[in-house]
Amino acid sequence: METVVNVIQWFANPAHWSGTDGIPTRFVEHIELSAVSVAIGAVIALPVGIVLGHYGRFGALAMSLSNVGRAIPSIALLVLAFQVFGLGNLPIVIALTALAIPPMLTNSYVALREVDPDIKEAARGMGYREPAQILRVELPLAVPLVMAGIRTSAVQVVATATLAALIAGGGFGRYIIDGFGQQDYTKLVAGGILVALLALVTEGLLSGLERLLMPRGLRLLAAPAARRVVFKTA
Amino acid sequence: MNWKARSAFLAAVVAFAMTAVACGSSPSSGGSSSGGSSPKGSVTIAGFNFTEGSVLAELYGQALEHDGYSVQYKLNLGNREVVSKAIEAGSIDAYIGYAATDLEFYNKGAGEASGDVNANVNKLNGHLQSLNMVALNPSAAIDQNAFAMTKANAQKFNATKLSDLAAHGSDIVLGGPPECANRPFCKPGLEQTYGIHFKDFKSLDADGPLTRAALANGSIQLGLVFSSDGDLNSLGLVVLQDDKHLESADNVVPILRSTVATADVKKIMNAVSAGLTTNDLIDMNNQAGPQHMDPDAVAAAYLQKHNYFS
Amino acid sequence: MPRGLFLEYVDPWINWDWLSRHIPVVTAALVQHIELTAIAVGLGLAIAVPVGVIAQRRKLLRSAVLTVFDIFYTIPSIAVFVFLIPYTGLTAVTAEVALVGYAVLILARNVMVGLDAVPKDVLDAADGMGYRPFARLIRVELPLALPTIFAGLRIATVTTIGLITIAALIGWGGLGQLILQGFIESFHTPLVVGMALSIALAFVADLGLAAIQRLALPWSRTS
Repeated sequence: METVVNVIQWFANPAHWSGTDGIPTRFVEHIELSAVSVAIGAVIALPVGIVLGHYGRFGALAMSLSNVGRAIPSIALLVLAFQVFGLGNLPIVIALTALAIPPMLTNSYVALREVDPDIKEAARGMGYREPAQILRVELPLAVPLVMAGIRTSAVQVVATATLAALIAGGGFGRYIIDGFGQQDYTKLVAGGILVALLALVTEGLLSGLERLLMPRGLRLLAAPAARRVVFKTA
Repeated sequence: MNWKARSAFLAAVVAFAMTAVACGSSPSSGGSSSGGSSPKGSVTIAGFNFTEGSVLAELYGQALEHDGYSVQYKLNLGNREVVSKAIEAGSIDAYIGYAATDLEFYNKGAGEASGDVNANVNKLNGHLQSLNMVALNPSAAIDQNAFAMTKANAQKFNATKLSDLAAHGSDIVLGGPPECANRPFCKPGLEQTYGIHFKDFKSLDADGPLTRAALANGSIQLGLVFSSDGDLNSLGLVVLQDDKHLESADNVVPILRSTVATADVKKIMNAVSAGLTTNDLIDMNNQAGPQHMDPDAVAAAYLQKHNYFS
Repeated sequence: MPRGLFLEYVDPWINWDWLSRHIPVVTAALVQHIELTAIAVGLGLAIAVPVGVIAQRRKLLRSAVLTVFDIFYTIPSIAVFVFLIPYTGLTAVTAEVALVGYAVLILARNVMVGLDAVPKDVLDAADGMGYRPFARLIRVELPLALPTIFAGLRIATVTTIGLITIAALIGWGGLGQLILQGFIESFHTPLVVGMALSIALAFVADLGLAAIQRLALPWSRTS
């Protein structure tokens, strides 16, 4: 109970809402690191996953990538990036991008792979060229699963960005690592709450976006519940 | 219905796996070698999360091993905040501390530490008693907090001693481990004793890779280092003189749980402390740090050379 | 990285000499890693099956359980490890509470999904054959859900192997200890060895579980 009271007081303290170690600064740092990493990851992973899924090639590779993504210890990846690229945001973004890619690539591969062959056939019969067929026919049908991949990836990166504090990064992880170092449990719990909240909000916002992007027709059908891919690296 | 047989097989596999785990679990960490059978009992020694911590834990640990104790090592366990929690909880039996810093830690920054190491250890023992812990004899070897700058910055601020920085605080970001923000011999001490009001504080590590990288790339201008580091000069860093004596006598001193501190254990560890000098510490840190020799090998070579193994 | 200035000694990615002298240390770390994983996944399974079975049967409980799980799942493990220290100290228990927790989340979800997928016809047929509810669960529903549960077991195992490395920060990381050592000492070899072995262990465990699944559950081979 004491912890709860302390944490509430911590959040109520105006000193924790300003300055370089204040919640707004840490929030912006956390969002920047996560958003940049997921964006770069998406630019790399989605085209590759979509094209591979369309042609149905390298399926084993695309599928096993999600296993690799789970197996790489995120803490080792961050330390390795620090030893190679030095101090700063660059190694953090590189490590987080590497973690962001597998869920998006695997999901977009599966999404395109599972488009009904009859529909592909029909599209070809209607005279669609290949790029147009992917963009106008297959991709809209694949939206739920592609978006699920982005969502999984984003939530994972937001949680894992916490560990960036180990290599002197900013973000909410600072409260956790510093709270641990200073044995300030109030700060630590507050940091944990902030990260969890941010991850949940990310999840909620991307679910909303997913609904907006989903084609009307698909929404009217009982849309197949997007399979939840479990990823946890932090 | 042969699923019955299959699920029986499955159950057997799971049961086997769990038994294997139950039998195989041992408390040893991924630290160093341990002594095998132990007629004299077992001691778990923790090391702080910097290289010297590992060297000192191995140094005292191997002396105990040589005399027949089984020693488990928990190296790189954490900072003092973490290690003290571990010893209070009985997860470890001993760690090798520093007289003044440990005194100010256990008296919660009351400012009792002085330049007199024996007084420091006596006062430290006063605070440890109620925790069922004891500090042994301090060694002559000293490693205290020091503050370093790149040579370029020292020239820019025209600084050779810490008091030169009072006028430049607003241009200086201090870097150190997270706990530096609260420790009397770190940021609060620099503010009070020297009147340096830093532009910012950056949480890094205790004289580790992050601090060195941050000094090099200019994300901090002043960094916490240890006075027993042998390689600062070769890294292009200068230590600023502590002209107002913020740092007190931080002699290396073993801290044990009272139940472990038998007369025999005390005798062995005090003998190591009696021979250890600051230069020994600098030598060993140089070998274990920049030269990447193993802390256990460095400690063994030292003990060999100084005839502890004879 | 200002290598010339700060790393006077050129550090190879793997210093074989160091490695050959540290086989016992590396082995101890690997063994601890396997033990922590086995305990976490084993206990996780023991908890997840009853939780999943009960929650799958009651709609209200089901959504409550899934919501709580989703929230707990977003909390970074480092926060849970450190938060537990005042209660359980720097013991293996502290590491295991979080690891078991995450394993339960993955496994219980798969238990529910697996049970959901049992066709209604099969349940009706079982009822028609006179199975009582508990017997129907044990003899009909769970065997049919096993492939899904096994898939969850593989994900939980690989995830746990990765997460354990973070417990090095509280002194119980298995191979994570090597990773941390490589970091603190700016020494590539333990970092690379710890990372490589952790990835290899994840793959071996995954393949091993897949092999067990093929042997024990031949009806799942097509899936």
